[in-house]
Amino acid sequence: MAGYHVVLVHFPTALWMTAALAIIYRAFFDGPVAQSIDRALVPLLSIALVFGVSAYLVGLFVWPLEAITASPLGRNHMLLATWTTAYWALLLVLRWRRGQAIWQGSMRFVTAGLAAIGAVLLGITGTLGGHLIGVYTDVSQVLRMLGWEVYTTFYVPNTTVIVLAIVALVLVAIGFRAQTVRS
Amino acid sequence: MGTIMARTSLYASTILFGGALALSWATHGTGTVVNDAKKHISVPDVLTVPLHVQAAYNGSDVFFRYRWPAPNAGIFHDMLRFTGGKWEVRGNAVPGPQPDGLHEDRVSMMLDDGSVPEFGRYGGYVAIGDKLAGFTEEADGKALKDHPYLGKKLGLDEPTKYLPATRANQNDWASTVPEAEQAKLQSAGYFLDLWHWRAARSNPVGFADDQFITAGRLSDSGRGVYSTNWDGDKKQPRLMFDPARSGGIRALRWDDIVAGKISQDGVHGLKEELSAPFDPNAGWQEGDTIPRRLLRTPQASRADIAVAGKANWIDGYWEVTLRRKMNTEKPLEDKIIRDGGAYQAAFAIHRQATGGRWHYVSLPISVGFGRNAELVATAFTGDTPDWKQAAKPITLFYPGQVSWPHLNSQRHGGAESIGKGIPVKSRHSEEQLAHYGIEAEFAEAIRSQLFLTLFAGLGLIAAFGWALLKSTPKSEA
Repeated sequence: MAGYHVVLVHFPTALWMTAALAIIYRAFFDGPVAQSIDRALVPLLSIALVFGVSAYLVGLFVWPLEAITASPLGRNHMLLATWTTAYWALLLVLRWRRGQAIWQGSMRFVTAGLAAIGAVLLGITGTLGGHLIGVYTDVSQVLRMLGWEVYTTFYVPNTTVIVLAIVALVLVAIGFRAQTVRS
Repeated sequence: MGTIMARTSLYASTILFGGALALSWATHGTGTVVNDAKKHISVPDVLTVPLHVQAAYNGSDVFFRYRWPAPNAGIFHDMLRFTGGKWEVRGNAVPGPQPDGLHEDRVSMMLDDGSVPEFGRYGGYVAIGDKLAGFTEEADGKALKDHPYLGKKLGLDEPTKYLPATRANQNDWASTVPEAEQAKLQSAGYFLDLWHWRAARSNPVGFADDQFITAGRLSDSGRGVYSTNWDGDKKQPRLMFDPARSGGIRALRWDDIVAGKISQDGVHGLKEELSAPFDPNAGWQEGDTIPRRLLRTPQASRADIAVAGKANWIDGYWEVTLRRKMNTEKPLEDKIIRDGGAYQAAFAIHRQATGGRWHYVSLPISVGFGRNAELVATAFTGDTPDWKQAAKPITLFYPGQVSWPHLNSQRHGGAESIGKGIPVKSRHSEEQLAHYGIEAEFAEAIRSQLFLTLFAGLGLIAAFGWALLKSTPKSEA
C-alpha cells in the first residue's frame, strides 16, 4: 500500500497548499481575481478533504498499526496527518457555513493565519512521510532548531493534556455564548 | 452589542487556541522519559560519541588503533573498601553510571569474516537476543544457570549476547538448538570475534580480553586476565598490595579513588607481581581500598590480543592500540585475518563508569586488508605501524533497548526490509537510532501519551472550529 499512499498524498498536498495560497490572497485582496478564487474555495477544500481522508485511510495500511504506533516517525506522521486533516476540515466548514463573513473585518486575518498554520501542518506531515521512505527535506532541521527532534515522538505531558481539555471546554462555552448573544 | 461580542469571542478563541498550541510546543516530550532503576532505565545525557579507528597489518600481525573522548580515565572497576571495621564490595553494576565512578572504561570490537551474514548489515543488533541482561525485561538468572546448555555446559551466569541461529525460536532465549548443531555452526565460522579492552581488568597487564559470541558471549580458551580477589568465607580480600613492590602501600585510599587523584601511571591495578597475601592484622584504616580483581598474565588463546605500546588517556581522550596475530590458529574462536580479505566490524565503548548495555555502539563497517572498504587496513613492513593514514571517523550511539526479536517483529515497520536484506544504514542514521532506542525503553508509556495528545489536539481543533463558527455571523456564500 505504500506506493498507493505516496501517489495519493500528492493530491491533498497540492490542493491544500493551493487553498492556503488562495485564502491568504483573498484575505488581503477584494478584487475580481480574489472573488473568483474565493468562489472556488469550497469545491477546492472539499476535493482536498476527500483526497486527504483517502490518503489517510490508505496510509493506515502501509504498516501494521502495531508498527506505526511503535515508530516515533510513524507516530508523528500519523499524529500530524490526523491534525492536518481535521484542521483543513475546520477551514472547509468555516468557509462553507460562514461564506463571505470570514473575509470581513479582523476575521479575514484570523482566516489567513489559520491557512498559514494549515500549510505548516501540511508541510510537517509531508516531511515526516518523506522521512519514512528515506526522502525528506530540511524542514526537520528547522523543527530541530525550534525545539522538536522529529526522531522523537511528539507528545505532551498529562498536565498539558488537562490544560488542552480545559481550553477546549472554554472554547465550546465561548461558542455557545456567542450563539446565544447572536440569537 | 452583538458585533462587539462576536469580535471579543473571535479574539478570545484565537488567543486561547494559539496559547494552547504554544503550551503544547513548549511542553512536548516531557514527563515520560525518566530514569527508573527498578526498570533498568538510565538514559545518558549524551547520545552520540565520536570514535576514530585505524587498522594496519604487516603479514603476521594486525593492529587496530582506537581514539575516543572520555571526560575522565575510568581505570577502576569494583573494589573492596574497609568500612566500619569490615570489608565490603563497592562498585557493583547499576543501571547507568556507577555513583562512585567504579566502572572501567572499555573499547570493544566485534569482527566477522562474512560467516554471520546479517552482522555486516545490522551489526551488533543481530546479537541482541531475547531478554538480555540490563533490559527492563531480562531473563531469570537462576533459569539461565540451570539451563542445560547455556548454564551447565557453557557456564553463563547472565543472559549475554547471542547469535540468531543458535536459537530455535527468536523470541525465546532458552530455545537453544541442539549441541551438535551449535558445534556445526561454530565450525562453519558462525560466531563473532570479540576484542575487549578493559581499562581496569586487562589494560594494567597489557592485554585485551579475547572473546567470541555464538550461543552466548564466551571467552576464548585459556586463562583469563583477571580473577576475583574476594574471600567469601572470610569476608575479606585474598590479596593486598605488597608494600615492598607497590611504593610502600598495602591499599589505595578510597577518597583518592573517587576524587580521581590516582592516574594510570600510579599504582592502581592489583597485579600478581605487586600483590602479597592479605594480612588481616595490618592495621587497616577506614577507607582503605583494595581492587576486587587480581590481574595476571592471560594464557593460551585468551592471551591473543595485546596492547601495543601503552594505552593512554590524555586530555580527555583514550588512545588504545591492540595487536594480534593475523592467524591465531584458533579458527573456532578467532576470525583469521588474511591479506586480501574483507571483514566486517562494529565497535563499542563504555565510559563515565557505565557497564552492561549502557555503552555506545557503532553500526557495522567493512574492513579491507588490501581491499577497498570503509576502513582500509594499511599494509606495512616492520614491527610497528607509522599510522600516517587518516583515521576512519565513526559515530557511536546509545542503543537503548532494541532487540533482534523486536526488529523482526510486527512492531518494527522495517521488519520486511530486514527480511529483504536491506542494510540498517540505508534506512537509519546513528542519531535516529539513539532516539529510537530510548523511545523503545518507554514504548508503551509514549504510545499512551501519543494517543492522549492526538485526541486532545483533535478536541482542541474541533472546539476552536465550533467557537469560530459561532463567533462569525452567517453571510451569503
